[in-house]
Amino acid sequence: MRRAQTRRRAAAVALAAAAVPLLGACGIRDTDVIEAGGPASVQAFFNSDSEMLLFFRTPDGGVSPVIRTSGSEDGFGDRYVHRTENQDPSGRVPTEMVVAALLAGPRPEDRAAGLTTALPARRPGTTVKITPTGDDTVTAGLPFPLKNLDPMAVRQLTCTIAYSRDADGRTVVHLKGQDGTSSTATCALSPDNPGTTPSPTRVQR
Amino acid sequence: MTTDPGAGPGPRPGRPRRGARTAPGGERSRARAFGLRTRLLLAFLLVAVVSAGTTAALTYREARTALLKTAQDTAVSSFRDHVQQTGFGLPVRKEGLEEVLRDLARKGKPRPWVVFAEYGSLRASSGENPVSTVITPELRRAARANPRGHFERVVKDGVPYLTIAMPTVFKTGPDDVLPTGLVLYAVMRMTDEQVNVDALLIAARDGALPGLAVALIPGLIAARSVLRPVRQLHRATRSLGSGRLDTRIPVRGSDELADLARTFNESTGQLERSVRELREAEERARRFASDVSHELRTPLAGMLAVTEVLEEDADGLDADTARAVRLVSAETGKLAVLVEDLMEISRFDARAAELNADEVDVAEAIRKTLHNRHWTDDRVRTELPDGIRARLDPRRFDLVIANLVGNALKHGGAPVTVRLRTAARSAGPPVLITEVADSGPGIRPAVLPHIFDRFYKADAARTRSAGSGLGLAITLENVKLHGGTISAGNLPGGGAVFTVEIPLHAEEAGG
Repeated sequence: MRRAQTRRRAAAVALAAAAVPLLGACGIRDTDVIEAGGPASVQAFFNSDSEMLLFFRTPDGGVSPVIRTSGSEDGFGDRYVHRTENQDPSGRVPTEMVVAALLAGPRPEDRAAGLTTALPARRPGTTVKITPTGDDTVTAGLPFPLKNLDPMAVRQLTCTIAYSRDADGRTVVHLKGQDGTSSTATCALSPDNPGTTPSPTRVQR
Repeated sequence: MTTDPGAGPGPRPGRPRRGARTAPGGERSRARAFGLRTRLLLAFLLVAVVSAGTTAALTYREARTALLKTAQDTAVSSFRDHVQQTGFGLPVRKEGLEEVLRDLARKGKPRPWVVFAEYGSLRASSGENPVSTVITPELRRAARANPRGHFERVVKDGVPYLTIAMPTVFKTGPDDVLPTGLVLYAVMRMTDEQVNVDALLIAARDGALPGLAVALIPGLIAARSVLRPVRQLHRATRSLGSGRLDTRIPVRGSDELADLARTFNESTGQLERSVRELREAEERARRFASDVSHELRTPLAGMLAVTEVLEEDADGLDADTARAVRLVSAETGKLAVLVEDLMEISRFDARAAELNADEVDVAEAIRKTLHNRHWTDDRVRTELPDGIRARLDPRRFDLVIANLVGNALKHGGAPVTVRLRTAARSAGPPVLITEVADSGPGIRPAVLPHIFDRFYKADAARTRSAGSGLGLAITLENVKLHGGTISAGNLPGGGAVFTVEIPLHAEEAGG
């Protein structure tokens, strides 16, 4: 009697074991988010010789690049930038001019896409001093204090300066404020080098 | 020497009939719920269910996974290819964005999809709603945190959707790319995939079910191959039990069941030989007893005649010689009785005893018996209702009553009561009950089981009794010859009682 019961129980277990994969796996079910290949590389018609990349703040708390043509705002930029002095040997738009354009803030089409800036408004008669201090290092003297600057603003500046120096944006940017506070950071937006720090590191002096 | 009732020659009359009566029960038992056939079939079915089910389930899962993976990979790579063929200015402008998205949506492969774009605070789509309700926050977060392609399968209201997130990058240099901040999403209904997966499921089920049906056939064959020898063995065992010792089973094949059949045949053969030898030995012993008693009878008759003559003349002899002559005469008489009893019991053993039944008035027959033995004084009391008639052998019934009353007077104590009555029995005809009770000390319980054995002395101290030691054995045989039973017991108030029950075959006249 006991053995018959054990046998019957074993049979039930075997049936259940057979039934579970049969019944539990019908149809199409949800999945988690699954990574599938790289991003899509779109044509943005960016020409590094005549165009510059400015980084503005997005509503979700990141920075996003916009393309700005340097020649389109002659009346603005030439007052602050001495193009002949700091002519880049690679033929890129001078960094002083790019930073000046960034400080000028987003344009209406940028604002239409929800892009804003965290940087203070540009005051007339101020200049940005860019000094290359090494192969992949650049120092930027800013016409405003750095101490109370928003981290997002630092990031905008870092990325804008880094991408104005090099196409890969890996240049280490040393920011020096009017108050003597300085900060060193890299941009780290490129999907190819996710190992670098995603946000700029700040060093208080 | 006792006779084992089971070893009597020839089949006993009751047994084959009983065997025949239980045979339909055996047939019925084959259809019982958890018989061997059912269990074997269930086992085969279980194995088939497990194997077919597991195979079908695993095949189905693999096929479904492959199917979905192909569809998803095709969709993701196709979406990426199409997105890569488009161009966007930075910042992305709302004007013209929907046209680009609709263009992308039309190129959807394998089916059109709905394309959504998210850039900063811009939301646009190729459909009616600029924001999808299917895309999950997890997918958005993954696409924003890690600028690589992602997909997620979402089942919403029972409809499976494939949602693809495709962040876009643009070239800042020959080898360098930068995220544009624009993420494109494609939402595709997986209805075709669902149809295909359902078809797979149906195919798996339709493949498994006939497999189960087919598994029944070997199950039935296996059950048959096991059950047929078992049934044969069953029949043979029953036949053997009913006395047909020559029963044999045909041996087929060389499996375990064939071995069993062979062993059964060998055992039956040995049993048959042993029984035959036993019967022959018993037959020889009986014939010897019968022959001895016959051979003793003639000289004894002569001796009896001589001792009677001598005893008549004993008065003329001197005292010692006269006592010796009387002793010889008495012992010769006992010897004659013993030989008569031995011959009687030999007739019973040889089944040569015949029942000469006649319809008699039982009370009258008992009275005659008592009268013939001169037991008419107050030593014997009778309670004999008149009018009970039964078919009895008068001589044998007389012997039974005389033996019981004689025993009671000899070993028990007067007065002895003879009672006669009839009783109904639930099974079979009514019975005639004759009780002979004495007023002695009763029979010791240790003796009771052996009281009807041959030469059994109830009183071990009294080795030389007046009887032959065969009286109760002959009584038992006589009652059995009538188809009745005899039992011995003790009355509650002391005294032994012997009860004879004989079936009343005759119609009761005037009772």
